[in-house]
Amino acid sequence: MRFIPWLLVAALASVPLWMTDYYYLHVLIVTGIFIIAAMSLNLLLGYTGQLSLGHVAFFGIGAYTSALISLGFKVHIAPDTVVGLSPKPVWFAMLCAVFVTGIVGYGIGKLSFRVRGAYFVIVSLSFVSVVQLIALNWVELTQGAMALNSIPPLTLGFGEYTISFLRKPQFFYLMLSAAVLSYIIIARLVNSRAGRAMIALRENESLATSLGIDVTRYLVLATVVSAAIAGLAGALYTHYIRIVDPNIFLFIYTVTMIIMVVTGGKGTLAGPIVGGVVFGVVPEVLRAMKIAPEMQWIVYGVLMIAIVYFLPQGIVPAVRRAFASHRSVFAGSSTLIEKAEEQ
Amino acid sequence: MRLPVFAPFQFNALERRDLSEFLQHLLNAVILGGTYALLGIGLTLIFGIMRVVNFTHGELYAFGAYCMYALVMRLGVNFYLSLLLAMALGALLGAFIELVLLSRLRRADIDTTMLVMIGAWIIMQNTEQWIWSGVALSVKNPFPANPLVFGPASVSWLRVYVFVVALLLIAGTYLLINRTKLGKAMRATFQDPDTAALMGVRIGRINTATFAIGSSLAAAAGALLGPVFVVQPAMGDLAAAKAFAVVILGGLGSVPGATVGGFILAFAEELGAGYISSGYRDAMGFVLIILILLIRPTGLFARKERIG
Amino acid sequence: MRKLLGLLAGTVFFVGGAATGAGAQDTIKIGVTQPLTGAFAASGNYVAQGTRIAEEEINNAGGVLGKKIQLIIEDNKSNPTEAVTTVEKLIEKDKVPLLIGAWSSTLTLAVMPKLEEYKVPMIVETSSSGKITRSGNPYVFRISPTSEMEATAFKPIAKHMGIKKAAFLYTNNDFGIGSADEYGKMLKANGVEIGPRETMDPAATDFSAQLAKIKASGADTVFVTTAVEQLTLILKQAKEQQLKARIVSCGGSNSPDQVIAQAGAAAEGSYHTTFFPPWFPEVTTNPEVSKRYMAGWKKHGFNVGGLTEGYRGYDAVYVAVAAIKAAGKPDAEAIRKALWGVHVKGVYGDIHFIKQGPAGKESGQNVPTVYLVEVKNGKVQKPQF
Repeated sequence: MRFIPWLLVAALASVPLWMTDYYYLHVLIVTGIFIIAAMSLNLLLGYTGQLSLGHVAFFGIGAYTSALISLGFKVHIAPDTVVGLSPKPVWFAMLCAVFVTGIVGYGIGKLSFRVRGAYFVIVSLSFVSVVQLIALNWVELTQGAMALNSIPPLTLGFGEYTISFLRKPQFFYLMLSAAVLSYIIIARLVNSRAGRAMIALRENESLATSLGIDVTRYLVLATVVSAAIAGLAGALYTHYIRIVDPNIFLFIYTVTMIIMVVTGGKGTLAGPIVGGVVFGVVPEVLRAMKIAPEMQWIVYGVLMIAIVYFLPQGIVPAVRRAFASHRSVFAGSSTLIEKAEEQ
Repeated sequence: MRLPVFAPFQFNALERRDLSEFLQHLLNAVILGGTYALLGIGLTLIFGIMRVVNFTHGELYAFGAYCMYALVMRLGVNFYLSLLLAMALGALLGAFIELVLLSRLRRADIDTTMLVMIGAWIIMQNTEQWIWSGVALSVKNPFPANPLVFGPASVSWLRVYVFVVALLLIAGTYLLINRTKLGKAMRATFQDPDTAALMGVRIGRINTATFAIGSSLAAAAGALLGPVFVVQPAMGDLAAAKAFAVVILGGLGSVPGATVGGFILAFAEELGAGYISSGYRDAMGFVLIILILLIRPTGLFARKERIG
Repeated sequence: MRKLLGLLAGTVFFVGGAATGAGAQDTIKIGVTQPLTGAFAASGNYVAQGTRIAEEEINNAGGVLGKKIQLIIEDNKSNPTEAVTTVEKLIEKDKVPLLIGAWSSTLTLAVMPKLEEYKVPMIVETSSSGKITRSGNPYVFRISPTSEMEATAFKPIAKHMGIKKAAFLYTNNDFGIGSADEYGKMLKANGVEIGPRETMDPAATDFSAQLAKIKASGADTVFVTTAVEQLTLILKQAKEQQLKARIVSCGGSNSPDQVIAQAGAAAEGSYHTTFFPPWFPEVTTNPEVSKRYMAGWKKHGFNVGGLTEGYRGYDAVYVAVAAIKAAGKPDAEAIRKALWGVHVKGVYGDIHFIKQGPAGKESGQNVPTVYLVEVKNGKVQKPQF
């Protein structure tokens, strides 16, 4: 089973070679960017059990940071004091985006984990709203609703050995590398001691605390990693779409990420990928079916409910269970097998 | 005081503004507060007590408003009777949602039920657009067009009517929960479902009833505010956002809390927009939420053990 | 995991299969991207309806270059990412040589890099932000006016109205901010005192706080820039608060008919700028075109309130067809060149493009006529000064 993910990566890497229609490549790229964001959300939602409706804030902060550093900016921090930055290379801007969102994640983690459950849901939602309103109203920095445009694409290398990630095949590989990197980081983390502590937290917080697990420390660690990866996804988005405005904080983007995680199977590494592929492709399939736009949304909603309703654990655990009951004589103890496989 | 980070903030000197403007702001805040409180109490039952992150709340609000439009403008039903009918239809739709979508997921995680509610929200909103198109509709009301004047401040009769009905509904809900057998069963169910079941409470019915009552209140808010504002498919989104803010400010599951939360939100928005910057008007509620939860994580009114 | 791979392959093939339908070139395709669902759905659908009328008229008259035209209208869901996806689909899958879109400035700005990437021109029918034609994108041809043009056109009227102190109330988006900025500049240059500038969330329904502040400022005229839904509410709430100032709505997305129907007496005495006055088509530059468009709208039974939106799409299709005809072939680069030479008699006026933006990479910009109307005795009238 170990080599299958790598086969999958190899299969995906071949896509730009035979997929000549850039529309499909575009759909795959955008889906891929959201899958990266969904994987990072899964770390919080699936492994620590915290339902964050604020994840798009990290995505958006990453997008804005990378855009601003690559474009340069000037702001008055006091009436007579101007702070500015000249345009920096895009790779540097993207790294900064990852760091900045990581730091924001640290701060938010420290603050918001004072509350749990439904309260945490709303605090995270409030966080997005505040960030969005700052992006909208701090016009000097973000240009507000007028949007930051003409954002440069990523270029790497020197002189004649420069690769530009403007065209889709090149960008596809960039997205794929970022996705693989994020996957490896998340996989390493959840299989480490820290990851087991997080799962213990999710399963029974008071028990975990009584065993001496420092709850906040692990939650903050998860938030920092999760935020940084979401920031990376945002930075990819900003240098791909090449415009960023406060619409980046639209609630529908958070919804998209949550749909990807929950339908795919939260708390499984493959879940966000499977859910992401399904819900990244479904809207385009519906579009191709030429039905009324409202009807496309209605079908989308029905499909979402149907998946959650019939596979409440998500697609990946259901598939796994089906496999396990086929192969194993201990068909009844499929949960045990599932647990074993997760390790 | 000047916050350097937020360059667009402008703190206008309070003394420069005259008293009449301040009075108008206060009056506006009181009227708006009643509205927010009404939005909040329906949600506090479902989100606060049942712990369902109810994204259909805004759509039930829109449903109430569309009912009002259909009844008053298309079928010519009496304005006041239409409100009652909209509430009844809202309760039916709520019961339907609970029975079809939620009853099987009663033991599921908060995010599973939330996703189902998000799906229902997408379906409902687009169904509204499908049936009525995206064009805004308006509902005529029987009140005089000229406002009710209090010295330098004024308010429309329609909004006074909405305010009064909202207070009546809030009081009614409070009595229902605290003074009736059904209310007792509701409280018991959501504090400890297993014990309640042992004591003979029919958990399934209580869940359905609670969701239906919450939905009916959301529809009432829509039916009351539809004529004040305009009726359009996206109207529910903003209403839901305000309702969540109100519920959290007041503390989950508390009707008096939601009422006070509604007024706090209205005052913060009105005075924030009047004296700080209208650009941040809609941020006021969220800033308050973050502040309050950091200082007092259970909200203003909920008891400690309610924490999720 | 194996099932995952199968699933992935299955979906790709499914999508791939759907692509083969678009083959035969017996029609000339024009791509349209509009917000048909989401926040801007009402206006986006009106514009799409306008394009459908023009498509039908043109095809009944024999089409262009001996072929019928075929509009492919995609829903951009009022969302910039989706707007980009619709453009990718229209260009790559449907192979359209020309686009129309994308309603709001944000949506238009989002798709602009794609126009450069694929070298396909787009006719912009609604967006008002100056950024669109000043960013150096030679594939953009805008038939709608910028906020700046509208404000300039308003200058002589401002004198007639005797404005002493102006206040602004606008949605916090590109449309509102652009309009308030340009009107503010113009009025200030003409010696008008500028009072409070109040913003509102595009989804907000209560403006009591902003109105109370404006009332206290003693401004005699309030310039409101927003879509018709909020405008209706502002008029109603201004009356509730006994705001005596005159209300002028800017930006041309104000549908005075809908305002009168929904705000009733509160609409009395308000002024509205519009780029097409369907109440007196005889005053427009091309009355016969305006009347033809209105007859088409009526024939399809579309909502009368949408007349002041739908013409944008209607004109855009006529401009597109004129460019295709001049180019002689449905080829993107030929059409782009031909767009510089088109002269179309449209509802927007005599449409042709002047150059805007950095030299060598200019975008095309049309200069439409701007009209001011007044609501008096429950009817839309020509204002008398």
